Amino acid sequence: MSYFDPIYIFFAVPILLIIYNLVPKKVRPILLLLFSFGLFIFISKWLTLFLILSIVSIYFIGIFLDKLNKKRDLLIQDNPDNKKEIKEKYKKYKKLVLILGILINVSFLFFFKYLNFFATNTNLLLNLFKINYQLKVAKYIAPIGISFYTLEALSYILDVYNEKIEADKNIIRVSLYLSFFPQIMEGPIARYSDTASDLYAGNKVTYNNFCSGYQRILYGFFKKLLIADRLNFLVSTVFDNYASYSGATAALSVIGYTIMLYMEFSGTMDIVIGTGEFFGIKIPENFRQPFFAKNISEFWTRWHISLGLWFKDYIFYPVSLSKSMKKLTLKARNLMGNRFGPLVSGAIALFAVWFLNGLWHGAGYTFLFYGMYQFILILLGNIFEPTINNICKKIKINRQNKIYRVFQSIKMTFFVFIGELFFRATSVKAGFGMLKKIFTNFHLISTFKSGEFLKIGLDGKDYVVIFIALIVVFIISLLKEKNHNIREEINQKNICIKWIIYYLLILSIIIFGAYGFGYLPVDPIYADF
Amino acid sequence: MKKMLRFILFMSILGIILLILELLLIQAPNMNVIESLLDTNFEIIEEKNDTIDVIFLGDSLVYSSISPMEIWNEYGYTSFDCAEAAQIIPNAYKYLEFAIKTQHPKIVVMEANVIFRDPNKRDLKYDISYFAKKIAPIRQYHDYWKKYIDFGSKENWVNVNKGFRYIVDIKPSKNKKYMKKTKKYNDIPKENISYLDDIIKLCNENDIKLVLVSLPTQVAWKYKKHNTTDKIAKENNLDFIDFNLLDLGIDWEKETKDSGEHLNLYGAKKVSSYLGKYLKDTKMLIDHREDSKYDDWHKAYKEYSKE
Repeated sequence: MSYFDPIYIFFAVPILLIIYNLVPKKVRPILLLLFSFGLFIFISKWLTLFLILSIVSIYFIGIFLDKLNKKRDLLIQDNPDNKKEIKEKYKKYKKLVLILGILINVSFLFFFKYLNFFATNTNLLLNLFKINYQLKVAKYIAPIGISFYTLEALSYILDVYNEKIEADKNIIRVSLYLSFFPQIMEGPIARYSDTASDLYAGNKVTYNNFCSGYQRILYGFFKKLLIADRLNFLVSTVFDNYASYSGATAALSVIGYTIMLYMEFSGTMDIVIGTGEFFGIKIPENFRQPFFAKNISEFWTRWHISLGLWFKDYIFYPVSLSKSMKKLTLKARNLMGNRFGPLVSGAIALFAVWFLNGLWHGAGYTFLFYGMYQFILILLGNIFEPTINNICKKIKINRQNKIYRVFQSIKMTFFVFIGELFFRATSVKAGFGMLKKIFTNFHLISTFKSGEFLKIGLDGKDYVVIFIALIVVFIISLLKEKNHNIREEINQKNICIKWIIYYLLILSIIIFGAYGFGYLPVDPIYADF
Repeated sequence: MKKMLRFILFMSILGIILLILELLLIQAPNMNVIESLLDTNFEIIEEKNDTIDVIFLGDSLVYSSISPMEIWNEYGYTSFDCAEAAQIIPNAYKYLEFAIKTQHPKIVVMEANVIFRDPNKRDLKYDISYFAKKIAPIRQYHDYWKKYIDFGSKENWVNVNKGFRYIVDIKPSKNKKYMKKTKKYNDIPKENISYLDDIIKLCNENDIKLVLVSLPTQVAWKYKKHNTTDKIAKENNLDFIDFNLLDLGIDWEKETKDSGEHLNLYGAKKVSSYLGKYLKDTKMLIDHREDSKYDDWHKAYKEYSKE
């Protein structure tokens, strides 16, 4: 199942829209919930039970936390003199409840995603110490999107705990928040305050919402079908068997993979957000022209934004602002001075973020390596930033200069390519093998002459299609980066021009899309994480 | 209301553009415009009149196991896979009926799984995709813009794979004994029997030899089905070749694309070669390799061997 399945997006969803408009406003959220659960059951069958358990757990934990908050406030009102004690006492209670909620939800995630990895590695250790005992290694198929909805569930109880939001007494709204059908496969990881009230509003699907939803969805199709699906064969062939290809082909496949990942993931987000628009629900954006970022740190505020924000809010800040970290910073300042001292606690928090980020993507050493790679790059960036700034000042380079910005983005993209190489590689060792091949056996001209570029599932025409489609996406991204609201600008155009644009978009997808016999569509990559 | 009309207008114009594109893209030398648009889901429409000796009817097993180009190269017979995913017998009849409008095959080989597939209980997705193919054939032909560039003009086009799906992917299974002997019979949906009779009748009327086969699959074929098919073949005096009982030396660790359900190209080569020899032994067909009327087939083979 994929959101790009025409039967889903051009048949099932329109039928839902019609029924949605026909039923009374109050019934609409229930209809959305039924459809969401239907889709979930269709994909994950009985494993839907785990989604329900997560929903029920955060619903009651939320209410429990809220009750504790209210009880505490009442007590404080009655005994204003003991304010501090009461607060401390209730904080402890709340913490226990919170930990229970976290444990329930994380244990499901652990069971489905990490148990296998954990057992395999424990066995290796046991072997190493010659202990004659082996854990059972079994891989379970996980409920769809468990990595996404678990983070949403955690953010909900953490937000209630931190009193950012009040616990919801309406279980339908909570259920919809966690299971809204466009988001179940690849996110984005929305916050309760982002979507919940819109989800429950039951607003009518208007003609304008309908058009604007499909406008966005078609752009997603354009990215996925013209570019990502066309690159799929090249990527899987070369990555799975890089030793048989030259360094130039390996490099091409690494670039191809990065492009494919971006087009698949951001294209899916276009469908997700477009589907939300039908119902007047603003699902948060997950991408903001990531390749225009000036460094890796900024890249991560533009790529998979919702995941980055989650780690920032629930890992980075709590760790770096914790009491023990504050103490550490004081010590570090004394030891290392004012420049490097404060970096220590940040570095520890950053490490936690990237360790967990790598792990979130999957239980495997390639993902952990990928996380550590990002951590090191960002850390080095933070450490050397003042030095580079000084050097630039001395040799009089204006860092706001356009050419310098382009140089920064190119440099950043290069590091992203290497990161994605390890992300996709079959193992860390294979990743290094491929990297070595790229740097020692590049031979662009001889590879070109040997026709190897044409033996990996793409003919010359495919390259031309990819190239032109990328230029279209690039121009659109550039305009967005310059704060043009392209979709609004198209809507303002007269009907002739508007329709010509739509027809071109639709026809280019139908004719030049890489679908049907001879092509293998990319599976929803992030749905596996 | 105004908006609704606007939407309908938008979709109508889109439909017209798509029709024009379909006409530009689809190659149908035998058909007039209307016919070809209605019947583009039958791929054999692309073949010139009276050029096909053998028609293979059936489901995905056919387009995965029989490569007409291999048979052409080895024996010089022209054949075509008139196959559709999860084909049901009414559609097999329709396809055959359509094919003999322009072709006069001497032999029709039908994969026996279609006899057992209940037309009313097929997975809905096949019906939807069958319907989609019918109303929007462009989905199937959209890639033909490449042929414009490859062959220069529409007149020069040839259908390269002749209905076969050229797939070299390997998803291994195990070499195991999957045909467990039994004396039981597999039931046949009632209406299928009358369709089968219709197909036999259609073949008789057109002097076509009908042959039943079951193609190699570790998943979709059982001994029960063999018994029933064998019985039908005997009752109707038809040849029946059960590849699942023959020893073709298929290596299920390398020659399947989906863990034993279908063969890939390597397995298909073995099946095609065996079938070619069978066709030769019928002594009903002529080797066309020296006949200049069939130059297109040489051209197609050249493209095929490039794949």
